[in-house]
Amino acid sequence: MTSARTISILLASLAIASLCGCASLGVEPWERDLHAREDMQPNEHDAAIDDHIYFSKEASSGGRGFAGGGCGCN
Amino acid sequence: MQLKRMAIGATLANATCGLLGALPAAPVAAQEVSDWEIDTSILYYGEDNERVKDVSLMTSARRALDEDRSFDLSLTVDSLTGATPSGAVPSSQPQTFTSPSGKDSYVIEPGAPPLDGSFLDTRFALSGNWRQSLGDSMRWSAGLSASHEYDYLHIGVNGRIERDFNQRNSTVYLGAAYGQDDISPVGGTPIGLAPMLEVDNQASKLGDDSKSVVDLLVGATQVLTRRSVMEVAYSYGLSDGYLSDPYKFLSVVDRGTGLPVAGPAGSGLNLYLYESRPDSRTKQSLFAEWRYALDRDSLALNYRIMNDDWDVTSQTIDARYHWNFTPNSYLEPHVRYYTQNAADFYRTVLFNDEALPAFASADHRLADLDSYTAGLKYGRRTAHGEFSVRLEYYHQVSDPSPDASVGDLGNHDLLPPMSAVIAQLGYKFRF
Repeated sequence: MTSARTISILLASLAIASLCGCASLGVEPWERDLHAREDMQPNEHDAAIDDHIYFSKEASSGGRGFAGGGCGCN
Repeated sequence: MQLKRMAIGATLANATCGLLGALPAAPVAAQEVSDWEIDTSILYYGEDNERVKDVSLMTSARRALDEDRSFDLSLTVDSLTGATPSGAVPSSQPQTFTSPSGKDSYVIEPGAPPLDGSFLDTRFALSGNWRQSLGDSMRWSAGLSASHEYDYLHIGVNGRIERDFNQRNSTVYLGAAYGQDDISPVGGTPIGLAPMLEVDNQASKLGDDSKSVVDLLVGATQVLTRRSVMEVAYSYGLSDGYLSDPYKFLSVVDRGTGLPVAGPAGSGLNLYLYESRPDSRTKQSLFAEWRYALDRDSLALNYRIMNDDWDVTSQTIDARYHWNFTPNSYLEPHVRYYTQNAADFYRTVLFNDEALPAFASADHRLADLDSYTAGLKYGRRTAHGEFSVRLEYYHQVSDPSPDASVGDLGNHDLLPPMSAVIAQLGYKFRF
C-alpha cells in the first residue's frame, strides 16, 4: 500500500506540475515540422506485439494503454 | 491515377494529437492521406530448452473516411507449441504427473525441470475501433475486441475521449475498457489447493469459470519544445473472478529432505496442489514517455511503475533510438529492463509440516524477476511501402523463495533462467 500511496502522490504532483506548466510550454503551429515526422509517432503495431509478449511472461501489463486481458496466457 | 487528398490540417493536428497515442483521424502522413493503411507482420517467438514457441500473424488496417472519421481493424493469429513450467520443482527422483486432461500421465526424469509438454494452442484475436472528431478540439473512439482459444474466450469493449488545449500543445485523455473472459480449462477448472489425482479421477476439478476486467486510463500529452514531447498516463485496473492459472501447481516437499511427499492414498503420485490465487486484483500504474527529435534521428524513453494488491511492484525502463541513416532507411536499436518483486502468495514449494496458506502459486511469473531485452530493427521505405526486420533477444531471471532450497532441492536449479529470440518481418503500405 505504501507503493500505491507513492504512485498517487507522484501522479498528483505530475498533474499539478503539468497544469502549471502547460500555459508556458509548447510551440507555434508553424514549429511542428519535427513533431510531424513519422519517426516521432508511436508504432502502435509493434507496441501491441510487445505488450502481448510481456503480458504473457511478466506480472505487469498496461501503462500507456489498457492493461486488459483477453488471453489465457496469464 | 487515384486522386489523393492533401491534408495539411490533419498533419498539424497529428503533430500534437497523434503523438504518443492520441486520436487523430490518421497517423501522420506528412504529405497525403490515403484511403487505407495496412500494417502486417509475421512474428516468431522462441524460448530456449524446448519451451514455448509462437508463430504469429498480425494485420492491422486503418481506413480514413475523411479528416474527422476513421476506423481500425486488427486481426491476429497465434500458433503456440512447446512446453511450459508447471510450477513443480525438480527432484532427484522421477516424478509422475497427471496431464491436465486427466486422461493420461507423464514422467519427468530425475533432475529435469518439470515442464508440461501438452502446451498447444491457437489463438484468434479481432478488434475494431471507430474514431471521430467532436468539434475542433475533441475526439472520441469506441471499440470492440474478441479473442478465442480452445480453452478461453474474451469479449471486450472500450471507449476513449480526448481534448486539446493551449493551441493543441496539450492533450488530455480519458479511457475505459471492460472485458469478460470465459475460461474452460482442459479437464475442468481445478479447485484451489486441491491435490492432483490419478488418471480418470476428476474429483479435484470443477466446470468452467470466468473473470471480468475493468480498466480506467487518464493521461496527458504535452509538447514541450519544438523537439520534445512528453506523455504521462495513469491506469487503474480491477480484475474479478477466476485469476489462477488452471495448469499450474505446487510441489509439497519434506522440510528436511527436500523430497516430494506422498500424495493421496491410491493415487500413486506425489503430493502436488493446484495453485490458488485471490479472486480479485487491483492494479495501478504510472507511465511516462519522452520523445526527442534530432535534426535527422529521434529518441524515445519511457518508464512505468506498477503496483497491485498482490504486493507486486514492478518498474520498466525502455529506450529506442531511431537512426535515419539514409532518407529511406533506418536502424532502431532498442533496450528494455524490467524488474518486479514477488507476489505475497508466491511460494516455490510448500512444506509438509506447515498449515495450508489461503493462497499459493509457484508460477515463476509471480516470483522475484528481472528481464532484459536488446534488439535492433531495420526498415527501408520504397515507393509502395515500408519493409522492416526486427530481431530481439529476451532474457529472464527469476529467484525462488528464500527458504526453498532445502535438502535435495539445493542440488537443483529451481528456477532456471529463460532466454528467447523474437524475430519479426513487417510490411506496411497505403493505397
